[in-house]
Amino acid sequence: MTEFDWGGPTVRRMLVGAQLRRLRIDLRLSRAEAAEAIRASEWKIHRLENGQVRFKERDLVDLLTFYGVTEPDQVEELLALAADANSPGWWQRYGDVLPAWFRNYVDLEAAATLIRTYEGQFIPGLLQTDDYVRALVHGAHLEDSNEEVGRRVRLRMARQTLLTREQPPRLWAVVDEAALRRPVGGPEVMRAQLERLLEASKLPNVTLQIIGFGAGAHPAMGSSFSILRFSDQELPDLVYLEHLTNAVYLDRRPEVERYLDVMELLCVQSEPPAKTEQFINRILSEL
Amino acid sequence: MADDWTARINTGVPNPARIYDYLLGGKDNFPADRDVADQVLDIAPVARDVVEDNRAFLRRVVDHLTREAGVRQFIDLGSGLPTQGNVHEIAQAIAPEARVVYVDNDAMVVTHSRALLAGDNTVAIEADLRDPDSILGHPEVRELIDFDQPIALLLMAILHFVPDQEDPLGVVARFRDRLPAGSYVAISHGTRDIPVRPDMSPEAMTDMGARVEKLYQLTTATLTTRSHAQVERFFGGFELLEPGVVEIQRWRPDDRVPRLPGGFFGGVGRKP
Repeated sequence: MTEFDWGGPTVRRMLVGAQLRRLRIDLRLSRAEAAEAIRASEWKIHRLENGQVRFKERDLVDLLTFYGVTEPDQVEELLALAADANSPGWWQRYGDVLPAWFRNYVDLEAAATLIRTYEGQFIPGLLQTDDYVRALVHGAHLEDSNEEVGRRVRLRMARQTLLTREQPPRLWAVVDEAALRRPVGGPEVMRAQLERLLEASKLPNVTLQIIGFGAGAHPAMGSSFSILRFSDQELPDLVYLEHLTNAVYLDRRPEVERYLDVMELLCVQSEPPAKTEQFINRILSEL
Repeated sequence: MADDWTARINTGVPNPARIYDYLLGGKDNFPADRDVADQVLDIAPVARDVVEDNRAFLRRVVDHLTREAGVRQFIDLGSGLPTQGNVHEIAQAIAPEARVVYVDNDAMVVTHSRALLAGDNTVAIEADLRDPDSILGHPEVRELIDFDQPIALLLMAILHFVPDQEDPLGVVARFRDRLPAGSYVAISHGTRDIPVRPDMSPEAMTDMGARVEKLYQLTTATLTTRSHAQVERFFGGFELLEPGVVEIQRWRPDDRVPRLPGGFFGGVGRKP
């Protein structure tokens, strides 16, 4: 029997926990019921689902069985994921399971108290209008059916309810001027999108800074990234990088801190939030 | 360009604001900061308690000034990285119209303050408290603060970063002279006068303070602890509120379980 002995919380542990929680909630089971199934306490289920506790392979298998997950591939995937969390420090790509991983990102994003994001090319996902999303999805997936496009748009829109829920997380976004100037979907779509940005920047939990062309070269030009912060003091910040075919999570402190450092530089160098409205209005007037 | 950037923010050099953030359990700190903070904790394990006590002192002071003294304008000098219980949150919970200026000379601190604290009736400016005119004459301060109404000046755990040769007494006096009558100043200040543990001799405390001061030489600021008499002198021209300059834990304590006093002196004075 394998006992996973993880030194500290890792993204994978949190992801395994998030999946277990999703399975349980989908079945409308309480934590107490899940606890009984593996002869454990409710508290342990709570800790497990939050990625805060090491657990035995047998517990994991028993829980999955209880949740009706018996498909060998699916069980294997979760066990492998849990086992992977054992490896010291990580940097992983899971290109083949992107949809599942993206769901995971949405879970993690929903659990965060602070989302810091830098976008060089796009309007940040949490602030996109549905027409903007539709134009992006069309641009990126020409072969997709209308149904698929609709599904992606709905997913993105569902994700945005996060910002207006009770006790919402704070979004602190830095957007490159390039992302504001590229007329995705044409001038009309972009006008509505920029107006949406103006509106969003007035939300008390949204901070929007723009890094203008005038700033010259900056250290994040090559890649957009997000940093998720959780209220639990034990949980490390997570860096999330989305690529064309996969997504990467970083949780090793030295790597995360490199991104945090770049984020600090960017925020210091960007226009202060109080200048955002004026900046966007100028772009609107030139559209 | 890159060089200009690191001149304004360099996470590789230990920084008092980020060290304080780490001691408070925050996540806006870097290895260089934690390295110094961990050494501070090795020498003075009580440091975590003292910084928490300082936040509690700030909360009681702002609560008192808003609720009892009716102050509606605050200037927080050396405000540090945003954390739980920031000045405007405390004051506006009692008086929603309360106005707060956060001042810091650290670019990262000001950036975080602008992003996370600014809002209606709250601004954050980048300025150095050693230059009072740059703060009192700042356009955003002139716009928000009414200099005909009482103002509370908060100097929490910041004057110990102004060494004697930079004339901290003169700095406080210059602010005092510009404040309208009925204004307040609140100060907390590091000291090595009071042993922070019951089993500690005054000599051991002095030695501990000296070692912490020495560690801060590695940071972007120097630390100067001061005696009770020296801290009291900052209140020249002010009338001290009861109980005067005392260990911060003993300044109008609330119902919470009191901790052992020590580490910082604090007090509040009113300009007649």
